[in-house]
Amino acid sequence: MAEVMRMQNITKIYPNGFVANKDITFAVGEHEIHALVGENGAGKTTLMKILFGMEAPQEGKIFINGKEEKIANPLDAIAKGVGMVHQHFMLVPSLTVAENVTLGAEPMKNGLFDFDGAVKATQEIADKYNFNVEALQKVRDLSVGQMQKVEILKALYKGARLLILDEPTAVLTPQETEELFEQLFKLRDSGVSIIFISHKLEEVMRICSKVTVLRHGRCMGSLDIEGLNEAAISKLMVGRDVVLKIDKEDPKPGKPVVEIKDLVKINSIGKNVLDGVDFTIHEGEVVGIAGVEGNGQTELSEVLAGLTGFTSGDVKLNGTSIKGKSVREIRDQGMAYIAEDRMVEGVAGDMSIKMNIVADRFTKPDFKKGLFMDAKKINDIADQYIKDFEILCDGREQPVRMLSGGNIQKVVVAREFTSGANFILACQPTRGIDVGTAEMIRKTIVRKSREEGTATLLISADLNEVLECSDRLLVMRKGKVVAAFPKANQVSEETLGEYMLGVKEMTQSEMEGLL
Amino acid sequence: MNKTQKIESMMEVVRILAGLVIAYAIALAILFAISEDPIYIVQQFILGPFSSPRRIGTVINLAIPFTICGLSMCFMYAVNKFNLVGEGIFMLSACMVTWVSLLLGPGLPSVVMLPIMFIVAILTGIVVSFIPAIMDRKFNANVVVVSLMLNSVIQSLATWILRYQVRDSSISYLGSREIPESIQLPKILGSFRVQSGLIVAIICVIVVAILFYKTAFGWKMRLVGANPRFATAVGLSSISISFIAQLAGGAFAGIAGATEMMCNYTRFQWTVTTQHGFDGLLVAVLAKKNPVLVPIGALFLAYIRIGADVVNTSGDIPTEFVTVIQGIIILLVAAESFLSGTKNKLIFKAAEKEEKEKEAKAA
Repeated sequence: MAEVMRMQNITKIYPNGFVANKDITFAVGEHEIHALVGENGAGKTTLMKILFGMEAPQEGKIFINGKEEKIANPLDAIAKGVGMVHQHFMLVPSLTVAENVTLGAEPMKNGLFDFDGAVKATQEIADKYNFNVEALQKVRDLSVGQMQKVEILKALYKGARLLILDEPTAVLTPQETEELFEQLFKLRDSGVSIIFISHKLEEVMRICSKVTVLRHGRCMGSLDIEGLNEAAISKLMVGRDVVLKIDKEDPKPGKPVVEIKDLVKINSIGKNVLDGVDFTIHEGEVVGIAGVEGNGQTELSEVLAGLTGFTSGDVKLNGTSIKGKSVREIRDQGMAYIAEDRMVEGVAGDMSIKMNIVADRFTKPDFKKGLFMDAKKINDIADQYIKDFEILCDGREQPVRMLSGGNIQKVVVAREFTSGANFILACQPTRGIDVGTAEMIRKTIVRKSREEGTATLLISADLNEVLECSDRLLVMRKGKVVAAFPKANQVSEETLGEYMLGVKEMTQSEMEGLL
Repeated sequence: MNKTQKIESMMEVVRILAGLVIAYAIALAILFAISEDPIYIVQQFILGPFSSPRRIGTVINLAIPFTICGLSMCFMYAVNKFNLVGEGIFMLSACMVTWVSLLLGPGLPSVVMLPIMFIVAILTGIVVSFIPAIMDRKFNANVVVVSLMLNSVIQSLATWILRYQVRDSSISYLGSREIPESIQLPKILGSFRVQSGLIVAIICVIVVAILFYKTAFGWKMRLVGANPRFATAVGLSSISISFIAQLAGGAFAGIAGATEMMCNYTRFQWTVTTQHGFDGLLVAVLAKKNPVLVPIGALFLAYIRIGADVVNTSGDIPTEFVTVIQGIIILLVAAESFLSGTKNKLIFKAAEKEEKEKEAKAA
């Protein structure tokens, strides 16, 4: 089978030194739906950005139809027959389907946009591939599934022979997914090659003929689907580079601190982002949540932090429900929150280190002296924490944005670890920071649970972190807890991968007593 | 202070100076083209405002409402709500002070009247700014649009009060009856003829600076302005804080209007708004929403305005042209990313140098 595209020995290092792709070779054949799989941060998106001309690699070559090509930008990629459907649609809602499809390569008549021509061309191509969309409809009136079809039509109209689909089923209902698959088969049979990026192994097994697995920026191999099973793919996908050990004693769980009962949250488009989550966190234990991102972890943390409400069920913190409570009230009930994205919810970049450290508590009476803030007390606290948490800075008045990522995160944990809370909600606490700081944060999480009896919920995409820091480990998938393990550091990566990717699922009775 | 911080603050000064130099250079170039005596005009524009104690006094007098309006806008700007209703409040507050003082009559002494007048002004400001603030809070209506529309409503309201409630029919122009002497504030500082509003302005600056930097509310406002999602996540109510900040801003706009009325006029006679609210925004931007820097921004703005007046009366240059120069100056001073490329280069170089030093040390 002839190769339509080959990426040879691609290496991409970002300016901050992050190696996103290391020596990856990836080829797609004719009449092929080729799956590209890997965990978040494995380098799939970077690799596809390189192919679509959005990033330039440091090393490596790209061949299209056997000829070496330099792809300078997306327009260049389109001209060379590469089309990409992004996860977030890039459509103009107020324009018609035809206008969206032809945008950038509009048919012209007498120097003006030929609307009728655009409609005709769009309808023709839609009929050819049996896409059920009306060229004259406005995009804002379409369903998500139809918008995706418009995106695909856009690429086909511009002559794409190789189509990149970035997690196309993430936004679709099961029926829409079926329909999409039918069309992908038709496209494949008519000679379009497809790169299918997905986390959903059952879909990969169903529609793809080959699969390439990436892990930590490296290619783990390109394999024929035939003869493979989901477990084998998940084993290649999920794994740790270096196993990091944290010494810790067994936990002595005390009374329940957080009780989550049948928690359901339905989002604005009617999807159950949390679908009956049910577990308890006790004094003195660290409960980890593993899972592919986008399976309800973010929503769960937002509900627990009081940033959004929930549809049904209940959450009790230290015996009192948090339903309808403000963030202030929940924090006063004993919650501390290390946010997923530190620059968005963890700090105010333009404000001083001092203000960021006391941001959650300066409104309390202890920090006031009459009408004013107790400047001395606040300064002392800031200096103390800068010292305790070894924040590298030029003093407490320095704006936080001038610090390095690790030091910014130290400001966050200096605040949240010292707030006196007995429940710490830690979301991706060490994402993108240096090894030393990450270790300090992990050790502190464990130490606080052992020495102070803090209950911790650790939500992380970093396997080392969830496996080594947590005592009990839960796996979330599609808004549900699908697996529970009593001892996180005894769970193998393969087993974890199978539950994360939906190869296996535990029954309620199997998880009994572990939730 | 580390290197990056040093570069940032140094570049801030360089940026403002460069802005001024470029603006004056452009002005000079145009003046040479259109004026008979460009050097004299430039001299008048730059030095004119300092040529007599009276003129210096005029600059200060003009800076007084600019300062208080600038403080008002600092509140709006601090929480990132560009509520421009200060423009209307300034006018309405002067009008309300006139009306209430005429209703109370000349019988009461200053010590009673003045506090009442300031309370009237503050209430006017709070009540008026409540409208866009609550519409923002409850209906997510854009504060800029609502406040601008509201300004024209207020203008008509104030004119109605002037025409039908306080008008003095014995004078030939449209104006109110004379306000009681008990609230006509005297001039101070001898030959400079500065308004006693200066004292009000100084008190306001001190109060606002303390509020911003020493009280919990000021901290809340600054945190909400810097990152509303962060403020929410640490338990502050971003929505109510920015709501209250807008009311506080309204109160100061009210004080500004009342002060201007009581210092500068004996009759209320405005039929259109006075631009003071918008000038306040300009001052707040120049001062980077720092109340301590507001008087400096206000003096600067007053200085170029008076310079324009001087040129207008003593030269052959129309006042519109001077407005153009003002515009250029303010644009270049306020443009935050002007010269940011140079700044980044300097920071980058400093970081590189530091790295090399580290390496050298390690070796």
